[in-house]
Amino acid sequence: MPIIEVRNLSKTFVTKDATVQALKEINFEVEEGDIYGIIGMSGAGKSTLVRCLNYLEVPTQGTVIVEGHDLSKLSGAELRSLRSSIGMIFQGFNLLMQSKVIDNVMFPLLIHKVTKAEAKKKAEQLLDTVGLSDKAQAYPAQLSGGQRQRVAIARALAMDPKILLCDEATSALDPQTTQSILQLLKKINRETGITIVIITHQMSVVREICHNVAIVQSGEIVERGLVEDIFTHPQSRAAKQLVIEGKDPDEFAKEQEAKSKAVPILHESRKIRIVFGTQSSFEPVIANMILTVGVPVNILRASTMDVGGTARGDMILGLPADPASQEKIISYLKERGLAVEEVQ
Amino acid sequence: MTANEINMILTGVWQTVYMTLVSTLFGYVLGLPWGIALTVTAKEGLHPNKVVYRILDIAANIMRSVPFLIMLILVMPLTMLIVGKTYGSTATVVPLVISAAPLIARMVESSLNEVDHGVIEAAQSVGATNFQIVTRVLIGEARVSLVSGATITIGTVLGYSAMAGTIGGGGLGDIAIRYGYYRYQADILWTTVILLVLLVQLFQAIGTLISVRMDKRHI
Repeated sequence: MPIIEVRNLSKTFVTKDATVQALKEINFEVEEGDIYGIIGMSGAGKSTLVRCLNYLEVPTQGTVIVEGHDLSKLSGAELRSLRSSIGMIFQGFNLLMQSKVIDNVMFPLLIHKVTKAEAKKKAEQLLDTVGLSDKAQAYPAQLSGGQRQRVAIARALAMDPKILLCDEATSALDPQTTQSILQLLKKINRETGITIVIITHQMSVVREICHNVAIVQSGEIVERGLVEDIFTHPQSRAAKQLVIEGKDPDEFAKEQEAKSKAVPILHESRKIRIVFGTQSSFEPVIANMILTVGVPVNILRASTMDVGGTARGDMILGLPADPASQEKIISYLKERGLAVEEVQ
Repeated sequence: MTANEINMILTGVWQTVYMTLVSTLFGYVLGLPWGIALTVTAKEGLHPNKVVYRILDIAANIMRSVPFLIMLILVMPLTMLIVGKTYGSTATVVPLVISAAPLIARMVESSLNEVDHGVIEAAQSVGATNFQIVTRVLIGEARVSLVSGATITIGTVLGYSAMAGTIGGGGLGDIAIRYGYYRYQADILWTTVILLVLLVQLFQAIGTLISVRMDKRHI
């Protein structure tokens, strides 16, 4: 049974002069122990979605079932007690700025009536887990962004939750710090089996640690599945943007706008994207293809990426103008078991 | 100035400090819960309640729009009931509390509203009750602003207490009016004014010191 189950969830915000449908008919489930990514551009509704998972936002329609409990059927007290098994971290860390690091971590324990001595012991253990034992007596203002997020993680883990929700947890951090936070989350997932739901607009985050992903666009899930599959065969336009461009969708939108304004100088020939698995890296595929087909191709981009721990090659080829050789190239590559995707 | 007059002024200083501090203290007994209730029941609050908010809001507005001098006279029956007389510094505490409470409620409301919504959300996400959020998050996070508000309140109450001198309220204001105004004793008038200025300076300095000391947000 999935640990989180979302059925036909919709959320509508009613303001004085407008009704905004933030989420439409969302369906997905998260298995226990999974790292589940929810990706989409800003304004897509993903922050609202994650808040529906612990009922910080109450959905207008649909059900959210967490650990077998339908959240809409819980009383206030039951909901609060369930929340203690759902940790959450935020883009802005949201620490108590007037309290010491150790008191921040003790906060959830103390409000759930754990004794002070026990809470302190637990908080010290958690600070050790996140690598901040020496900062227990510091105030958040004395810490860097990455360290603050580590404190927030320690706080979120205080009640030994089964689920950890991450709302753009690395968006305010530089790439290196992002890496270290992601590694920490991975480690915690491995060691405790905690289920992690990650909301992000960065494809790199999803690629780095998620097993499954849902792509959200304008309040709807347009595609979901294994990260590996979506990376290899993106179906929706949003997925293609995310995977092929490999960058933030909002940046992509800006670029498209700039492109549409520019006068096209020459008509570009057909382009394809191919993805290499580990097995195909033993064979010089491109060189062999050129020898077999007998026409040159233009390598427009080539890179390797880490997708869920395995190396993936990713290449965009510009094909010759002649349709016959184009077909030959595509079928040759497909025969070799490579994923071939047309790109614009 | 005679020794008697000096003694009288010293008593006046004590009465002013007494009225100011006691009134501010009782003002907070009423104003703090009032301000918390305003914050909690507001539209974006922890537990929105339009009716309660409107009542508290309008009550604060009405009470704040009555000038202190008029309030002094208006609440005389109540003062009589509580203290047993309507003159002297203890009697003045009653109208002072009634005038200070809505001011304090507004100060508290605006201080608590400054607390970052994200921190409240984080507390909710770990299962905190609204009561726990108020006591452990809002008040702690807003403490610097709350102390600044209290400092401003003390200054205002001290000013009001001097006004009560017109109807025999005791303290330095009373002395200033009786000796400085009715008897044209400029030396006493100026002495009381200087002492009032010094008192305000002192309270302000203490308040500022405390709020700087307790601010851990910028290091």
